[in-house]
Amino acid sequence: MSTVTTGTVTTETVRATSLRALRRPGAGWWVVVLVLSAVVALGVYAWTVQLRRGMGAAGFNDQAFWAADIADVIALIGVSYGGAVVSAVLRLTGATWRAPLTRIAEGAAVCTVLVGMALIVPHIGNPVRLYELVTHPNTSAPVFWDFIAVSTYGFASVAFFAMPLIPDSAALLAADDGRLGRFRTALYRRIARGWTGAPRQHHVLGKALTLVSVMIIPLAVSVHSVLAWAFATTSRPWWHESIWAPQFVVAALYSGVALVILVVAGFRSGYGLQQWITPRHFVRLGFLMAALGAGYVYFTFADILPGAYVGENAVSTVFADLLVGRMAGWFWLFVVGGAVIPLLLVAIPATRTTAGMVVAASFVVPMLWLKRYLMVVTPANHDVVTGGHGAYHLTWVRASITLAAVAAVPLLLMLLFRVVPILSVDEIEEVELEERRTLTQALAALRAAGEPRVSSPAARTVGAGLAVLLLAGAFGVLGVGRAAPAQAAQAPKGPRIELAGTQTDGLVHLKASVKDAKGAPAAAGTVTFSVMTTVFGPRAVPLGSVPVTKGVAEMVLDGAHSGGYRPTQVGPTEFTASYAAQVGDTPLERSVDVDVTAAVSAYTPAAPKPLEGVGAVTPTVLFAVVGAVWVTLLTTVARVLLVSRRRVVRRVPATEPATAGRPTTQSA
Amino acid sequence: MPTTTAVPDLRDGPDRRTVLAAFAAAAALGGAAVPLVAYRADAATTPAPDDHAGHGATPAAADDTAGPVAAQPEHAWCMVIDLRYCDGCKSCTKACQKRHSLRPEQTWIQVFEMEDERGGSFHMPRPCMMCEDPPCLKVCPVGATIRTDEGLVLVDTDTCVGSRACMAACPYEARYFNWREPRPPVDLGMPNTPQMPVARRGTVGKCVLCADRLPLGELPACVEACPMGVLWVGDLVADVAVNTQGASVVLSQFLADNDAVRFKEELGTHPRVWYILGHGQKLQGA
Repeated sequence: MSTVTTGTVTTETVRATSLRALRRPGAGWWVVVLVLSAVVALGVYAWTVQLRRGMGAAGFNDQAFWAADIADVIALIGVSYGGAVVSAVLRLTGATWRAPLTRIAEGAAVCTVLVGMALIVPHIGNPVRLYELVTHPNTSAPVFWDFIAVSTYGFASVAFFAMPLIPDSAALLAADDGRLGRFRTALYRRIARGWTGAPRQHHVLGKALTLVSVMIIPLAVSVHSVLAWAFATTSRPWWHESIWAPQFVVAALYSGVALVILVVAGFRSGYGLQQWITPRHFVRLGFLMAALGAGYVYFTFADILPGAYVGENAVSTVFADLLVGRMAGWFWLFVVGGAVIPLLLVAIPATRTTAGMVVAASFVVPMLWLKRYLMVVTPANHDVVTGGHGAYHLTWVRASITLAAVAAVPLLLMLLFRVVPILSVDEIEEVELEERRTLTQALAALRAAGEPRVSSPAARTVGAGLAVLLLAGAFGVLGVGRAAPAQAAQAPKGPRIELAGTQTDGLVHLKASVKDAKGAPAAAGTVTFSVMTTVFGPRAVPLGSVPVTKGVAEMVLDGAHSGGYRPTQVGPTEFTASYAAQVGDTPLERSVDVDVTAAVSAYTPAAPKPLEGVGAVTPTVLFAVVGAVWVTLLTTVARVLLVSRRRVVRRVPATEPATAGRPTTQSA
Repeated sequence: MPTTTAVPDLRDGPDRRTVLAAFAAAAALGGAAVPLVAYRADAATTPAPDDHAGHGATPAAADDTAGPVAAQPEHAWCMVIDLRYCDGCKSCTKACQKRHSLRPEQTWIQVFEMEDERGGSFHMPRPCMMCEDPPCLKVCPVGATIRTDEGLVLVDTDTCVGSRACMAACPYEARYFNWREPRPPVDLGMPNTPQMPVARRGTVGKCVLCADRLPLGELPACVEACPMGVLWVGDLVADVAVNTQGASVVLSQFLADNDAVRFKEELGTHPRVWYILGHGQKLQGA
């Protein structure tokens, strides 16, 4: 493996560099902090405007119900993935060159995920009710699982960032030349607690960091998948795509590595870390970014091709908007700026420099925001009834909130690294030690005329991969009258009608007997039977007409002979017969109450969906998985805290801990 | 102590025992949480039908071909829209907006002008489809969308957090957000209920089929206002439908006789709104 530094090049120890970075900042630092604070303040003001005037002030409307707000959340939580990659993935694969980058990368991860979580507040129409996600959750909602996944990942990120601070605080306290300042000294004493650098402490911390590394990868996968599923679990064209979850994950990785390049470059020049972070770091990160970028280009193509190829109305309308329509300019800008230019900058040897990688990364981050914006806004604008579209108009209110979020990340990082050492002291020292040992062993082996042996990280990688698959698999299951008294029948002179209702075999028989004015059975005319309903006020629903033969008209309410009607409710039901000898005659009416004993509701509920049962079980399974993750994380953190607690028993004044039990690399 | 042990082995995998123990503990925790989760999952879907066992509608001796009539609610509200007679006057929209104090762009029942197959156009009113399997219900993170046992999909504006997930999920664009301060409501002397919601800024609103009127035997505002008798309101249980032209029909026969169809049947949402076509119209989602 290449080395971070070698004994000969090192002019400053990692402890000295970290202490130097914590000294009183220059005027430049203050200017940057003030400018960033002003931008954040403007964003907070804009949010208060949105609170006062409603979300319409941020440019939303019913055909752009989600827009820049969600793109911001996705982009910010996405870039926090960079920390997970650089720290966790490179740790698990044993890439030792990561060591000087991890603190900055993890700091960026923590800051971006916190800002991303904070951005959910202005995205919500009623932020004061957010507590209902805990008190009143709907466990079948993807948005609820977003909340669970993001908070779990956020906690894991903070733990991953904070645990190595214990040995680092101890190390800096030991190396302090009196310029650390009262506040930091007190703080570091609290953090370092009883850290003596004892073998057992190192062992427990190392195991804890490896375990959290293994967990943080599937956690990050889960966050970006669930974010994608908030879209993919709707029937909206282009959102309802199975590729969205993995595509979100790759987008997050791609933009995350780009953010690490930018942040590392910024702090490298601002804090004079050139000795630790070399152009080779940038080139390596650039390769990583390019590989992920190529993957993202592939995913984007695979996302669009099937829908555009088949040409279903809705999906192809959305893709036409995107590729050749009103969004085309922005989409092709993304293709050029977010894919072609960065990949070329990495591919061409002449631009494969620190500056080249920084330029490439500064294309990737905003362009990936643009891609997310297009992915959110284009389908949201699409009207799924008419096939037309609405539009989102970014207002100053939303733009200010977005800019505030962008400014908040470097601001938080700059403030964070006033307090926290900028290099992961302990990790770098460990890697140096490790390398020295490897070198010694290699030399010994060479001397013994053997090839240098390289241990394979395969088993570890397979283990991590299995964990990812298990968790991703678990998340993948988600997927998921009574009759009113009738008007008294008139008893007119002339023809007369009688109505009788009987029940046999559960069927209602209506029999109308009609006599003409002379009292003889009527020979002509029709009887119309009706049922009286009170569902929408008293109304007679006609059931059909029957010709009178020999003074009688009969109807059996079996559905087939009664206009599709069968009694729908038991109890007294009023039926009416109306007789007209000729068309145009004033009808004669007669009603009868039948106490219906057998009724058939006309309504048949829809058959249950095939996977309804699975959907009911899924939340339980997910809660079990999330519970396991939290228990593991908390146990791990507790073990580290326990092993580094202050022991009352013997020696070790807290002021000079970290020197015990390990060689120091301090130069004379 | 030998120095070698002072260096943690970064290449170690995670501590298997810790992981296993943690998973076992969490599984136990999860198991304990099952009743709770089961309860929530249940509350999020259609209310249990046996809430209404023993109701007056229960026949003592049900026809055994009819299935479990006892498990059915008293009403199953629905709508029938007869596109043959709609002239696009939008009386329904105006009546609805007046009754619910909506802003002009909030069209709980919207009359779309659609293209027919011959290049002409026809008018298509679209209320809430009152789906039996409503996509909006599942995605609400706080369960603010509810479905009554009589099949009305309603929003509790006292719970809604304004995530708009329901707007994303609705395949009929039937949901409208209060992006700005809503109009002051007409004082009906009633508290805010899902049946007669008072619009609140930052919450979502939608057609409620005038749920407050139906139990009284009154017609929804849109049905009442339709001068063409296009809009029918019906009850699938009692098998009747009525419009304001004084007509009352046996619902099942009416739907069958007129070849009524539902909008976007293929999505499996089981809408409770039927459309009657007849003049070259096509119902097809976009």
